[in-house]
Amino acid sequence: MTAETGIPDPSAHPVTSLDEVVHQRVRLGILTIAHEARRAEFGYLRTQLDLTAGNLSKHLSVLESAGLIEVEKGYAGKRGRTWITLTTAGSAALTDEIEQLKLLIARVETLGA
Amino acid sequence: MTTDSLPVGGDPRQLLSDVRTLAHRVRLDQRVTWVALLVLAAVTFIAIPIDWYGLDVHCAPGASTQLVQEADASVCTVWRRGVLLYWPAALLLAYAAIAVCYVRVARERGLGARVLPYAITGISLTVLFTAAWVAASLYFPDHPQRFPEWVLVLDRLITPWGTIGVALLVLARLERNVALLAFTLGYLAIVLVPPHNFGWGTHWGYQADFVPQQVVNGIVLLLGAIGFAVAHRRRR
Repeated sequence: MTAETGIPDPSAHPVTSLDEVVHQRVRLGILTIAHEARRAEFGYLRTQLDLTAGNLSKHLSVLESAGLIEVEKGYAGKRGRTWITLTTAGSAALTDEIEQLKLLIARVETLGA
Repeated sequence: MTTDSLPVGGDPRQLLSDVRTLAHRVRLDQRVTWVALLVLAAVTFIAIPIDWYGLDVHCAPGASTQLVQEADASVCTVWRRGVLLYWPAALLLAYAAIAVCYVRVARERGLGARVLPYAITGISLTVLFTAAWVAASLYFPDHPQRFPEWVLVLDRLITPWGTIGVALLVLARLERNVALLAFTLGYLAIVLVPPHNFGWGTHWGYQADFVPQQVVNGIVLLLGAIGFAVAHRRRR
């Protein structure tokens, strides 16, 4: 990415365009689930990603600080529930990450051919 | 340094594969396809007696008409009053019930739902079918005419049972559900090529004339509901 314009440089290696916040297995998983589900509950994320509550909370904090998700706490009866929703920036970051991964794979395959 | 060019989060192929697997799992957990089909099957079966008793037949020798009785050469006008009285309200209630059910089940599973575009499509098609049938009922009694087969096929698409199929195509797309797509195409084929084409119910009298089609549609939807419910149960 060029520092001046923010427009990706086509000649740059795809790795340079990867967002370190998103480019992490668990955080990418959280964004994927939230994108596909419209919104996802904390317990569902924990089960699907096979994480402890503390570990998941840390990853959610990172994503929330980066403005990629919104965390909403509510109740279902007497039970507290935490819902995670993807922001517009989060949706764009996920799309960009997937694009970069595809480019990276294509690049590796071109070099290997 | 080779490490500079390697991604920090792992093998990109593995990451992409994980993304696809997770997305697929979420879609499976959001589905309650069998509920939608069961509600639509119930609506279709309930329509049969209403259509039966709501059929309005007027026969008069030489009157202008839609159907001709061969036996006595009298001419009969058949008006399916029950269809207009029952189906618009029934379909609106059905789509509302399906949407509420999808949202509640998804919420219980810890997810959001994707059913809104389906419900909106279903409701829009219901409004379209109602408008088309009201227009037809006002226009055709005074302007009887014979239509080519392709117009009749198009007409079957905006019947209540036709709109059910078209809306199910939207649900299949939303859920990226290939099994539902295949089922819906089969259902639409049955709707567009009704049992009359095979000679069933052609000499059963006016009231029974419409029954085979509705029974077949209802059975297909019910079997679909059972099939999707069994598949869902096995997966969980």
